Amino acid sequence: MFSLKSLTGLALGVAVAAFTTAASAQSVRVNYIPITDVTPLFVAIEKGYFKDEGLTIVPTPSTGGAAGVPGLMAGAFDVMYGNVVSTMLATQQGFKLEVVAAGTKQFPNRGRTNGLVARKADGIKTGKDLEGKTVAVNTRNNIIWLFARAWIAKTGGDATKVTFKEVPFPQMLDALRGKQIDAAFMVNPFFNAAVNDAETFQTFASPYDEVQAGVEVGHYISTQEYFSKNRETLAKYSRAFRKGVQWYNANLKDPELLRIVSGFTKMKPELVATLDLQTLPEVVDIDTVATTVKLMKDNELITGDIDIRGMTAPDALK
Amino acid sequence: MSIVASLSGPMTATVPARRTPFRDLAKSRLSGAILIAVLLLLWEVSAARGWIVSDNWPRFSAVLVAAWHGLLSGELAEILGSTLYRTLAGYAAGCVLGVLFGLLLGSSRILDWTIRPLIEIQRTLPSPAIIPPLILFLGVDDTLKIFIIMLAVFPPVFVNTYGGVRGLDETLLLTARTFGLSRFDTLRKIVLPATLPAMTAGMRIALSLALIMAVIGEMISGSSGVGNYLMSMQYAMRADSMYASVICLAAAGYLLNRIFLVAERAALHWHHSMRME
Repeated sequence: MFSLKSLTGLALGVAVAAFTTAASAQSVRVNYIPITDVTPLFVAIEKGYFKDEGLTIVPTPSTGGAAGVPGLMAGAFDVMYGNVVSTMLATQQGFKLEVVAAGTKQFPNRGRTNGLVARKADGIKTGKDLEGKTVAVNTRNNIIWLFARAWIAKTGGDATKVTFKEVPFPQMLDALRGKQIDAAFMVNPFFNAAVNDAETFQTFASPYDEVQAGVEVGHYISTQEYFSKNRETLAKYSRAFRKGVQWYNANLKDPELLRIVSGFTKMKPELVATLDLQTLPEVVDIDTVATTVKLMKDNELITGDIDIRGMTAPDALK
Repeated sequence: MSIVASLSGPMTATVPARRTPFRDLAKSRLSGAILIAVLLLLWEVSAARGWIVSDNWPRFSAVLVAAWHGLLSGELAEILGSTLYRTLAGYAAGCVLGVLFGLLLGSSRILDWTIRPLIEIQRTLPSPAIIPPLILFLGVDDTLKIFIIMLAVFPPVFVNTYGGVRGLDETLLLTARTFGLSRFDTLRKIVLPATLPAMTAGMRIALSLALIMAVIGEMISGSSGVGNYLMSMQYAMRADSMYASVICLAAAGYLLNRIFLVAERAALHWHHSMRME
């Protein structure tokens, strides 16, 4: 086991070295999930907004859940897209994180983008109907799980009487067909596939809108250490990224946008064309995040207080 | 049903003629290929006829088309290449360490008693379970994946080498001593050749483990390789491309195993296990 220890030490050294080089260079490594919500990042890359600011972006996709915050803390990347609930949970656990840009907000009238899906024949309508049944979420203790629980409570059900099962988004419809689950909180493109199969499935609720209209679901974070050492770089990053959001919002139906989305999600352009792309926010709204944090407290996900303003970069607020 | 009907006619007509094709089949090893072909046909029909309805169950013919496109564009070669690179790097590291520790612990009691308890504990740790904490130390890139592949490869190679050394015929060692061989020469001329069959058996088991761990590591974190491709194709609703990469990986694994067998044959041509076939 000597070798094991020395290898760990060596690798730790490499990780530290990688972190310090990245801190001094004008390149920013951004970790993302390949979903349409992160499109502005790729718009800003393709349109040269980052280049105009003298930044090189190294996008690294992650499809599994494990990389996320540990990868950020290890310095494997500088900025990552994450969901608000997971960020607050990590903050509560002592990870020092900084919100550097807005990511996803559930604006009203955004079309078919996400919601609860069940088999049509079962006729499920409310949280009360879900008692004693099984609901699929992609990960426990994340925003999807929280809002599924909150919606059940809001519509007369008892969330503790509902079994939550972790099922990856791509397998949710199969699990519904196979009756391993009774409902699933789905996102696009899978939610859209459920909508299109109206013979088999029914979409019966939109927990985000019904529990907290306008909720901010995702955002971009870095470590506070990276933030304090790279304020200038992150200011440039915010400006360029903001331009990406603005172009994206102004060109939701543009064929060029379809091409960009298809490029990084690897979805076929025909599939992207069937999806409703939603408007994305330019700024973080502290009060909205605070409401979500209160919801986390009500559901006993966190106990203490979180200084949301203190952990949000000023550039992300205006 | 129609297939059964058309076959049953001639088959019942002449009994002796019916036996020969099957006997030929038994001799030719073709039966294995036929079984695979039948299963693939079943896959195609089950998707085409709608026996199984799912976005994750494309027709096998669609998978072949996706594989063809992937191979032509070079996309599949690229992802396979990065998976194989990590597999072989981790495999080599695991084999070297496994053999080294097997030889050392097999021949030194004090080292054995000091280090083996640690190794026995490490052996039982499932690598996927320790990936999240490892990310903290090793990041999400090649270092992490090569490390977990090494962790998976080490135990079978170590256990077999160690067992080989421990099971050495005492007479061989006594003979070496009688001839006045140095420690190094004893290792080179007696211990290594005698433990080589056990060592290679461990390495062969470890080869498939290495490939599995490479894909698991890529599925959990990372931006390249077959594991990452599998995940992104699922999220992009492109099941055909996903299976295409699985098939290419299976082919690569099969090829690696064949190469290993050839190398093993060359190294162990003198051993009785090789002479039996």
